Amino acid sequence: MDDIDAVGQAELVRTGKVSPAELVDAAIARIEALNPELNAVVRDRFELARVEAAGDLPVGPFRGVPMLLKDLSAAMEGEPLYEGMRLLRDADYRASATDALARRFLDAGFVVLGRTNTPEVGLLPTTEPHSYGPTHNPWKRGHTPGGSSGGSAAAVASGMVAVAHANDGGGSIRIPASCCGLVGLKPTRGRVPIGTDLNEVSNFLICEHVVSRTVRDTAEVLDVTGAPRSVGASRAPTPRGAYADEVGIDPGRRRIGFLDADPTGSSGLHPECVAAVTEAARLLESLGHLVEPSFPLQWADAEALVRFSSVWATECSYVVDDWAAKVGRSVTEDDVEPLTWALTTMGRGVSGPAFMGTVVAAMEEARAAAGWWRPDPGDDEAEGYDLLLTPTLGEPPPPHGTFDSTREAPLDGFIRSASFVPFTTQSNISGQPAINLPLHWTADGLPVGVQLVAAFGREDLLIRVAAQLEAAAPWIDRHPSVHA
Amino acid sequence: MTDRTDLAELDATAQAALVASGEVSATELVDAAIARVEAVNPEINAVIHPLFERARARAADPVAGPFSGVPTLVKDLDGQLAGAPLHLGNKLLKEIGYTAPDSSYLFDKLEGAGFVIVGKTNTPEFGLQTTTEPHAYGATRNPWDPTRGPGGSSGGSAAAVAAGLVPVAHAGDGGGSIRIPSSECGLVGLKPSRGRVSVGPQDGEVWNGLVARHVVTRTVRDSAAILDVLAGEMPGDPYTAPLPDRPYAGVAAADPRPLRIGLRTDAIAAMCDVDPECAGAAEAAAKTLESLGHTVDVASPAALDETELVATFLHVVAANALGVVEELATMAGRAVTADDVEPGTWALAEAGRAVSAVQYQQTIAAAHAWTRRVLAWWHDPADAYDVLLTPTLAALPPVLGTLNPVDGDPAMATIMQTPYAAFAAAFNVTGQPAMSVPLAMSDDGLPIGVQLVGAAHREDVLLALAGQLERAVPWADRRPQISA
Repeated sequence: MDDIDAVGQAELVRTGKVSPAELVDAAIARIEALNPELNAVVRDRFELARVEAAGDLPVGPFRGVPMLLKDLSAAMEGEPLYEGMRLLRDADYRASATDALARRFLDAGFVVLGRTNTPEVGLLPTTEPHSYGPTHNPWKRGHTPGGSSGGSAAAVASGMVAVAHANDGGGSIRIPASCCGLVGLKPTRGRVPIGTDLNEVSNFLICEHVVSRTVRDTAEVLDVTGAPRSVGASRAPTPRGAYADEVGIDPGRRRIGFLDADPTGSSGLHPECVAAVTEAARLLESLGHLVEPSFPLQWADAEALVRFSSVWATECSYVVDDWAAKVGRSVTEDDVEPLTWALTTMGRGVSGPAFMGTVVAAMEEARAAAGWWRPDPGDDEAEGYDLLLTPTLGEPPPPHGTFDSTREAPLDGFIRSASFVPFTTQSNISGQPAINLPLHWTADGLPVGVQLVAAFGREDLLIRVAAQLEAAAPWIDRHPSVHA
Repeated sequence: MTDRTDLAELDATAQAALVASGEVSATELVDAAIARVEAVNPEINAVIHPLFERARARAADPVAGPFSGVPTLVKDLDGQLAGAPLHLGNKLLKEIGYTAPDSSYLFDKLEGAGFVIVGKTNTPEFGLQTTTEPHAYGATRNPWDPTRGPGGSSGGSAAAVAAGLVPVAHAGDGGGSIRIPSSECGLVGLKPSRGRVSVGPQDGEVWNGLVARHVVTRTVRDSAAILDVLAGEMPGDPYTAPLPDRPYAGVAAADPRPLRIGLRTDAIAAMCDVDPECAGAAEAAAKTLESLGHTVDVASPAALDETELVATFLHVVAANALGVVEELATMAGRAVTADDVEPGTWALAEAGRAVSAVQYQQTIAAAHAWTRRVLAWWHDPADAYDVLLTPTLAALPPVLGTLNPVDGDPAMATIMQTPYAAFAAAFNVTGQPAMSVPLAMSDDGLPIGVQLVGAAHREDVLLALAGQLERAVPWADRRPQISA
């Protein structure tokens, strides 16, 4: 059962071959067996899940399929939500309402088994919070599973569940997907609702979805999480049809630009990352696509990362102060990790107009870069490219401790992460969809993903090409060392 | 049919039909409009930058499109036209003779549809007022009573259309600035949904998404057909409104299904008292709507009675005002002092300096949470309303010189203007479509609009309902005192 994806599991339930209770019991058994080695799941709700599986589950497309939620957003009424913060764990914070995203998972018939690990307020591309300890990479214990959705990625890679919730404000779906050998799609800004407890200023960067092992799971879950809706601040263009139907459709001959170096030139890429993107470029060529070296010039602007970091710090200060208000106390240096405190302190010193100015500048940069993509991939006469191909990361998953900070040098880990994630933040600034695909493994067996970035609103094209690559270079039979 | 007075009676759709059938040339239409501007504008001061030579040149070789050869005016704010003056109601930009380096997508789309821009219209400084009495360019007068203002901030455009200089004119609305002048000048003014009309390429969003852009018109069909021209995502937009299933022009021509409509005549958040004639206009509209088969009861979202957000929202307004003053310095190429802007603008910008990024984000978060509470009234699956009906304004058009006196107290001006924003500004925060329809006249012969507020992205419902009202209780025969 651990090798069957969520679409497959749902089909077994629909045809009466297994019951939701059987699926849920089997997944619980896998989590109990594997989690001591991985520390991917930080809180379970097994008893509730068993009751739900035995009861009247909603008749949705994923009825009876077990899943996990990241311990950051996707709030469920009355249940704990800690975001990796000791502050919230000590306060036993409970969400006041079930947010729109969790509601969609539940209405689709998913059974939620528990919460997965996250770095404190999702700040880092690794998953080693002081509150819950590090999550291990199932491909190599002692190495990072990536972050911030590292708990979810480790859980899916090890076969605990087929899909797990994830979110991405600077790469946090794509980074752990790359580190754990998974499919990780960051949807277009505004595609998937964010929760009632989340500031939608953050939604400027953050997108919600899942990590999965198959492209069809990512596509079919996006039909659930990304269904057109009526309430929310920002919107994505209406999908042309069901994303599930895009899987298997010939994408035609697409123009793809490819990037095999840090566009700002500020760090060197690990040879395994260069190898991954080079192989992917050859594979795409062999499938009939036109692949040539090209990327939006704006990606070469080193100031872009400065702007992103400024927004990141400012949002951190807002989030930390917001949580403090919710638990009814002020936050001190002892309540949070050194990096969190440093970014909070920095963010508190930023003026409102300065923050606004940074956001305006980021939108201008995104507007300029957007011209690199063809507005309509079907228009072969138009200038520009349909997809950008990059390595997802600058290096293979490093050992635990690589992104640690201390009180004396609280930004060290954050600064160190810049060379690890040279390719992901741009799509959070622009709001464009981007996907990690597990197409390469290092000589010692660690996954190294590649990223495809499409024009705003064009998840359909990403899914078509991702499914084509999945068929051409299947990864489903590859399993990590820690696996069900 | 080429008499300039007869042409002044025709809406843009009818003028376009004359050009299409060959009865009138674009040059004749444009020359007639220029003649009307020259004859009437000295009485109302609506047009501040004539672009007659440019217009005549374009009319000689008109762009093919649904509005080929039809003259229009654009506001000196909320968009820019390459090579044309751009003064935003500000005396410094006027002194240095600033011209725009490039054009907005919106103006490209107007010209791409065949419209010929014959000039630019007056606006209060940076659009910060509900009246159009900038110190830089002087007051625009209301064609219905030249001792009164035309509303603002799109008061120049509204006065020009009401007086018949052009059939339609561009406008923008960040706190009511399309609907307020439409109400005061007896026009149709639709503020589209957030993200419906791109504000690029110069901006990603304006005033945190408060600002929506469109036109003021005399007929519903013009508003609908021009929205078909202006709607739609442009590359690099940070978010977009989903496109409608079918063109607005067709929707506006047919009666809507029977709708469930709530009537509210109390000012939002108890901001001010409501003039009985304004409340009476909405009540009379309710009776008309009932006679047309709709269900109307006294009801509105409970969240509209909350008062907390009004004060805190000043954080966002002040931060944006400072942003505007800083942008002015960039445009002028020198530091800006208190002498370069109106006192009210300077006071607001100074307040912006004190706003921290945390406060700013808290306010945005509170506004988003409030938006969800407001929108639930339209989107509750069990108990949804289709439309909220209110007066557009809480007061009749003001006597000139009372709202923005040159040596007045800026704080007092803000209080005095509250009745003009009391029903309108809330829907800039929520991003919903809202429309003023000219249904009533005061005892003294001044126009009174009623506001229709639709569910998120449902301009189609508003346009269909407004079209039905226009057929049931037509306003085309009412003409102002000053009329071409």
